[in-house]
Amino acid sequence: MSSSADEAPRRRAGRGRYRPLLQRVVAANAALLVAACLLTVLVLAPRKFSTVAVDEAIVLLVALALVALINVFLVHRFVAPLQKLNALARRVDLASPGQRIPDARPISEAGELAATFNDMLARLEREQREVSRRVLAAHESERLRVAQELHDEVGQTLTAVLLQLSRAQERLPRELSGELREAQAAARASLEDVRRIATDLRPETLNDLGLASALAALSDGFGRRAGVRVERQIATPIPALGSEAELAVYRIAQEALTNVARHAGSDSAELTVSSDPDLLTLTIRDHGRGLPNRGAADGNGVRGMRERAGLIGAKLTIEPPLHGAGTELRLELPLDGARCSG
Amino acid sequence: MLTGGRDAKRGSEDRTPGTDASAKQVRLMIVDDHPAVRLGLQQLLDCQPNFSVAAVCIDAEGAAARAEAERIDVAVVDYQLGGRNGLWLCRQLRRLPDPPHVIIFSAFANDHLAACCAVAGAGAVLNKGVLGSELCDAVRSVVRGRRLLPRVSQPLADMLRRRLPEREQMLFGMLLAGIPRVEIARTLAMSARELNCRADAMLRDLEPLPGEASASDRPQRRLDRERLIPRPRPASPLRG
Ligand SMILES: Nc1ncnc2c1ncn2[C@@H]1O[C@H](COP(=O)(O)OP(=O)(O)OP(=O)(O)O)[C@@H](O)[C@H]1O
Ligand SMILES: [Mg+2]
Repeated sequence: MSSSADEAPRRRAGRGRYRPLLQRVVAANAALLVAACLLTVLVLAPRKFSTVAVDEAIVLLVALALVALINVFLVHRFVAPLQKLNALARRVDLASPGQRIPDARPISEAGELAATFNDMLARLEREQREVSRRVLAAHESERLRVAQELHDEVGQTLTAVLLQLSRAQERLPRELSGELREAQAAARASLEDVRRIATDLRPETLNDLGLASALAALSDGFGRRAGVRVERQIATPIPALGSEAELAVYRIAQEALTNVARHAGSDSAELTVSSDPDLLTLTIRDHGRGLPNRGAADGNGVRGMRERAGLIGAKLTIEPPLHGAGTELRLELPLDGARCSG
Repeated sequence: MLTGGRDAKRGSEDRTPGTDASAKQVRLMIVDDHPAVRLGLQQLLDCQPNFSVAAVCIDAEGAAARAEAERIDVAVVDYQLGGRNGLWLCRQLRRLPDPPHVIIFSAFANDHLAACCAVAGAGAVLNKGVLGSELCDAVRSVVRGRRLLPRVSQPLADMLRRRLPEREQMLFGMLLAGIPRVEIARTLAMSARELNCRADAMLRDLEPLPGEASASDRPQRRLDRERLIPRPRPASPLRG
């Protein structure tokens, strides 16, 4: 019973089976007024009824109109914030933070409720940010661990194998050395793979040489490995952003380029970083087939990018470019905000 | 028969200094914190004509002590060691009265490391993926006094130079260009000691991982690598 009652208003998009408050108040007051007038006429002046009927009727109508007006005015003031609250509560989405009920001031019970609702949204967003930050930090430290393990164990063992193969080559008869060379080539290739994977997992260059070098290395790597030629324009020096923001920008660029290689079907892309005193802009544009028309839900990649952008107070858009085909991702990071959160 | 067999086995394992008497013998030191790599290096280098592995060490401090006690011609040193790193060791070794040549043998041999090697006075930097024969060739080259450092790209060199105080930038450029230290010291009219001190100070600003951390600071060093993880930025704890 109760659950169906809960669902009803939601299902009918705000038009539940109840009568709106305004109607009810006006009807009740009108009924009261009419009853009071009738009572006055019937009890106090029953004989004059016929003569005063017209006058009374006019007074009654004017009073009714006044009552309705006053009611509309008062009730509307009360109900309007509730309606806004209702509308916002229906569409609010923590993934796009910053939505609030406009002019929610605690000047009435309903206004107070709206203000409280706004506070609650702010609190939820704060908590959500905290949770995302922790999840991302856990991801990063896990990546770091895996990269370290790869390098410290697999990489070292492969190095040892290579050394031993080299030694064996000098001692073995010639007819075996061809096979040995193949084994050597395979071991070298896997060592190279280990290095590449470790570097993807843990962008050493970012730590050692800063964002500009790391983005340059990243785009070169995509050119070599994924066959996507990345033309880059990085206005150096990039202002200092703080390690959190730098990592976020780097990871967003990494995911965006991965998406280009995976989905765009284009063999060239442009990576641009430009900055003016209060805004840093990263754009990654490809000339491929573009985003799917509609209904393509954000995957983990895009969701992760949005999350990272949100955490550093940046704006992220992924749209078709103004001119030509393809996709353009644009990240705008206000520099003062970045410095505070970094 | 049995004892003979044992003796023969022992004989093959022991080093035989008698045959090493020729003046061309290259005495090598291997420093790596991974056992398999140490073993691989030792086996490979030991079976080369005229090479003898005189010392095998697992960390930088031990290696520095060993090199003081014993004549070493070439040290093959991993960059990342537990505790102090390979470049720290390189600087220690190059200060000895008869300094060994140093080959930095690293899994992450890139331009950046090459630039640091130039400042630290290493003779070569090699990627761990190279063939054994390339490593042996490198040893022979550095013994003859050649320098095998890849050319550092101009943008990277500029970026690293900007990290340094102005008065060090020229010195950095000279070190990077591979001008011999005696010549640099003469040109800039300073003692070898002063040159070394200034190069050390420079490395603190240049190195990917500051090499000053002592063995007991290993966790701290790891923390520094984990700076990539979002966290309130510490004021470069290792720079002090
Ligand atoms: N550059 C692009 N060109 C064309 N389509 C794209 C591009 N980038 C993203 N898309 C579309 O957007 C969708 C969502 O991308 P998203 O990165 O979130 O997920 P994914 O790449 O499919 O998987 P993953 O979670 O592993 O990243 C993709 O499936 C793809 O259809
Ligand atoms: Mg993706």
